[in-house]
Amino acid sequence: MTDNIRSASRKEADALIMGGGIAGLESALNLANMGFQVIIVEKDLSIGGRMIHLSKVFPTLDCSACITTPKVSETARHPNIKILNNSEVKHVSRDENGFYRAVIEQKPRYVIDSLCTGCQDCEEACPVVVKDEYQYNLVGRKAAFIPFSIASPRIAAIDLDNCILCGACEKACGPGAIDFGQETQITEITVKTIIVATGFKLFDPDRITRYGGGKFKNVITAMQMERQLVPTRPFNTVLRPGDGKVPDKIAYVLCAGSRDVTVDNPICSQICCMYSIKQAQLILGAVAMADVTIYFLHVRAFGKGFDEFYQQAKMMDVQFIKGKVGRIKEMENGDLMIRYEDIASGQVKETQHDMVVLSVGILPNMGIEELFEVDKIKLDPFNFYNQPNEMTDPFKSNLSGVFIAGTSSGPMDIPDSILSAGAAASQAAKYMKKSQVNVSTRATTTV
Amino acid sequence: MDKDPPKILVFSTEKISDPALDLAGLMKLHYPPTVHAVVVPCSSSVRPSWIMHAFECGFAGVFIAADGSDCPYGETCIEKTAKIVEMTHVMMREKGIPTENLKMAAVCSVCAELFVNQMKLFAGELADKRPMQYEQ
Amino acid sequence: MTNEPNFIEKRIGVYICQCGSNISDYVDVEKVREEISREKGVSLAKVTMFACADSAQKEIVADIQNEPLDAIVIASCSPKLHLNTFRGVAERGGLNPYNYVQVNIREQDSWAHSDKPAQATLKAIHLIRAGIAKVSLSEALTPMTIPAENSVAIVGAGVTGMRAAIELADLGVNVHLIEREHFVGGRVAQWGKMSMTNQTGEEIITELYHEVKKRESIRVYTGADIIASKGSIGNFNIQVKIQPRYVEPPCDPESFKNAIEACPVEVYDEFNFNLTKRKAIFFNYHSEFPALPVVDMATCTRCGECLKYCHGIRLDQQEQVIDLHVGSTFLATGFNPYEPKTGEFGYQEHPDVITLQQLKRILELTKGEFRFRNKKIERVAFIYCVGSRQVEGENKYCARYCCTSAIHAALQLRKDLNVPFIYHINKGIRTYGKQEILYEQSSTSGDIFLQFVEDDPPVVETFNDHLKITVNDLLTANMEVTVKADLVVLVTGMVPRLNQELNSILKIPLGKDHFYNEIHPKLRPVETVIDGLIIAGCCQGPRNIAESASSALAAVSKVYSILNHGEIQLEPTLAIVNPGACEWCGQCLVACPFDAIERVETEKGPVARIIESNCKGCGMCTPVCQTEAIDIKGYTNHEVRSMIEAMSG
Repeated sequence: MTDNIRSASRKEADALIMGGGIAGLESALNLANMGFQVIIVEKDLSIGGRMIHLSKVFPTLDCSACITTPKVSETARHPNIKILNNSEVKHVSRDENGFYRAVIEQKPRYVIDSLCTGCQDCEEACPVVVKDEYQYNLVGRKAAFIPFSIASPRIAAIDLDNCILCGACEKACGPGAIDFGQETQITEITVKTIIVATGFKLFDPDRITRYGGGKFKNVITAMQMERQLVPTRPFNTVLRPGDGKVPDKIAYVLCAGSRDVTVDNPICSQICCMYSIKQAQLILGAVAMADVTIYFLHVRAFGKGFDEFYQQAKMMDVQFIKGKVGRIKEMENGDLMIRYEDIASGQVKETQHDMVVLSVGILPNMGIEELFEVDKIKLDPFNFYNQPNEMTDPFKSNLSGVFIAGTSSGPMDIPDSILSAGAAASQAAKYMKKSQVNVSTRATTTV
Repeated sequence: MDKDPPKILVFSTEKISDPALDLAGLMKLHYPPTVHAVVVPCSSSVRPSWIMHAFECGFAGVFIAADGSDCPYGETCIEKTAKIVEMTHVMMREKGIPTENLKMAAVCSVCAELFVNQMKLFAGELADKRPMQYEQ
Repeated sequence: MTNEPNFIEKRIGVYICQCGSNISDYVDVEKVREEISREKGVSLAKVTMFACADSAQKEIVADIQNEPLDAIVIASCSPKLHLNTFRGVAERGGLNPYNYVQVNIREQDSWAHSDKPAQATLKAIHLIRAGIAKVSLSEALTPMTIPAENSVAIVGAGVTGMRAAIELADLGVNVHLIEREHFVGGRVAQWGKMSMTNQTGEEIITELYHEVKKRESIRVYTGADIIASKGSIGNFNIQVKIQPRYVEPPCDPESFKNAIEACPVEVYDEFNFNLTKRKAIFFNYHSEFPALPVVDMATCTRCGECLKYCHGIRLDQQEQVIDLHVGSTFLATGFNPYEPKTGEFGYQEHPDVITLQQLKRILELTKGEFRFRNKKIERVAFIYCVGSRQVEGENKYCARYCCTSAIHAALQLRKDLNVPFIYHINKGIRTYGKQEILYEQSSTSGDIFLQFVEDDPPVVETFNDHLKITVNDLLTANMEVTVKADLVVLVTGMVPRLNQELNSILKIPLGKDHFYNEIHPKLRPVETVIDGLIIAGCCQGPRNIAESASSALAAVSKVYSILNHGEIQLEPTLAIVNPGACEWCGQCLVACPFDAIERVETEKGPVARIIESNCKGCGMCTPVCQTEAIDIKGYTNHEVRSMIEAMSG
């Protein structure tokens, strides 16, 4: 696993994959299994993307980690794949022979990966506690830390922004893996093809002030709820953040930030209905006597097994109310009053809940277009990466040799992301096969 | 040796339940150290004779950490594993071993807590009845 | 190889890793080493700081060569982390990688029992003893490789099949494209304008077919069906029956046209969903592929009229059966539109009740004013979820594409044909993702949306010269609303094609919805439990065209990674039968989910044999064997029993 990091100066590569989430991993594995040399550039400390942090996944309710971790470890062990974690592509240009040259910046983790055994002694010794972004700020973590229990690589990193340089971790580390002398590494890689699998951004709930996201303590996002439902969950039950009470009247507000021109996002996010229905089912399993109400406009249960899953939730007594939520008010005891237009009765109603989950949508993760030197990768009207020939040649971008996988091209669920990643891989393979070129990679390492 | 918890043999599966046992360790969750695991490809490949052999060798309990619906070899695993348990129960009755001494539960690859709880529970149950078993 | 334990005693090296202090803080590694070094067969036992470190690996390689060792045991972390690392060490030392056993004394010992160090130490000893027991019985195993034929049979020449064919051909795979109909294009050929891009089905099919024809490595068979299939991944032998077309090139298009005109037989044209009639010799549309008409022998009267105009017609052509040898079979057999029952929302009781698919054909055939049955159409009502999301019926699933497709058709009606009144009587519009924009356009352009609940569907009745639909509309607080319509369009979804014969020949697993079922929607979305049998497109479930193309390409990745190495490597941990002990009861054959067991005759009678290319090593066959004649290599009866004994000590 550690080999992948040392090989930043690898001499040859066929494909560069931007993003080590489920789509990037799937593309990488497909290409690697065909015999191509692949480099994955992942900006996070671990590969696995969003999916590795999910609890169970719809509509089969199998656990997300159980599906992600085998792919993660297969990727990490694959002889044809090299992973650059904590890294970002900074610039892409095309040379006279049609090869893409990518400048990659790898930030230091201040831990020598080949020496770290993942024992967590440094974590224990570190006196600094900050919010844990991997738990969506529900709990804290140390400044010397292993990102999360199933991270890959499962080795420590020092969060220098918060580190007080006390040296406790250095003393605690048996193998002497802590190295504050590490510096940012710049590597230039030449490849034949690029797959953009940079995923999506979550809608920031603070943008809808009428729902009190970020302001009301007991209004959380679905991702925060997700972390409370994973097998390795921080609290071992569902708690509302305001007072640590186990909630029993939970509301979901769908289309928070989707299908909403006032926040400049007219399209449907495609996944929120289903993940909310899934969470509702999980909550009913985790919290005895809980009431879950889902406020919706339309339930988009369109995929294989989805509508059956929706019907199952209804049978489990999840309440579905068709109505637009106008406003959420915070009560003194932390409870929340939801004001909504009840379409079944045609009236405006108010209902009290003790916790509200905003089913936030997904937004394009722009920025890649800025990296290209001359010919830029184009965006579609919704700022996802454009597919000029979506019907018959999907996942091809406007640039020859650049492909798009997963939610980079638009909202989609995990099964569709995985298919798109496989598709992008076959497109990339064909492109390489057709452009009979030999790539020699130049790697320059500067300090 | 009286205060030692009873010995339990676990059949864990390479791809599904054994990773959960690993995760239990990673999370420093404790369970009785007399629990020992043998890894097999799939819970429906456990032979009744192996389970009986474990009892003969002095294990007080046998636990099959089954693949359940996560089995990579298909859904028939569930019924096949159940059948193995059923066949073994017959053999256990013949030998006068209480059938509760063989337990099975589906353990997914991150079901670490579930596994640990199962082990504590099972060890407790076995410890309660152990004197009876050896009285004869 | 036999089932008997290997009695030649191995010289075993055991390495106990401290993992820095992760193991040694709780496990008394020195005590473990002492105990273990006294075990039978152990010729060397060492403690090491980090077994995975380069220096330790080199030391182990040297030990294997110098001692020499026949097998090694490394007691360290979970094999999930470093099994391959240490198998590599064994190989570099000259051992077979399967003569190495990793014992997990970190995750499953020191960390799990950090509260009880003495007992953790005892457990480490037991676990390592079990590892020694296993390795001393271990056999050298070599992965078996079987040659793989670099060709694929793609069944179905619709968008999915053709897209996959082109891609695979470009990747260097030989493609046999097998189409049941006499023309390629599948359902998409019938579709007309498509949502999102406004390309027509005909344009898409034309583009794809031209690409197909450019490639020599794609052979297209029309009127063709698979009638037999044998073999397994890498090597399928399939038989294809090809129905004659009764027409041969060359013959000029003008003669064909005259021949078709001359044909006196008229039957309903299924291509236009029986809206029009065609002749017994016919094309579906002018640019159909292959560009040769076909004689429908079921309705041809052999009158000979067509023969007068075209010398390419061969009414005496015979059907042909051909044999193909392929590495993989790729199913892209598509779907059928749901056919409403007679009387379902007035279907077939009133001629102005049609299906969405029929509307799509009408839109394609209409030029200028929108007339149907000689009547100007001004009011169109769509009724959604016909044949999908059924409360009573079998089709519980949502057919995914129809909301968007119906709304797109409505936009066409309004924009291109100036239909002023359009009603959408629906169960909740599912224009997911970017398709939402079409819904937005439709609602703002004046379409009226009415919503009914599952158990209260709308009622369609005849009223004077038009149709009347009554619905309790959820959107207006359940008010009863009556809609007057000239044309009612039933938004019919997708159902699986009836391919019973093909399904039983290929043993394709079906899901609850009767579509073909993948192994796992996320882990292995285009594979079936039969290795080498790949599925894509709408035969798996409802999808739109872009999604079908996506799945086609994903399936191409899978097929190519199977075939491009020219051979397939199988894990060596497969089942093995001891024919001496087998008394053939057939139980193993029943237990095997992968068709990996066959009955073979021997001198002593019938015995089981493993078809290694099908076996996955799951071991489901082993517990059912009364004579314990089957083993899984690497998990043999002897190995497991001796491990249990070693751990019980």
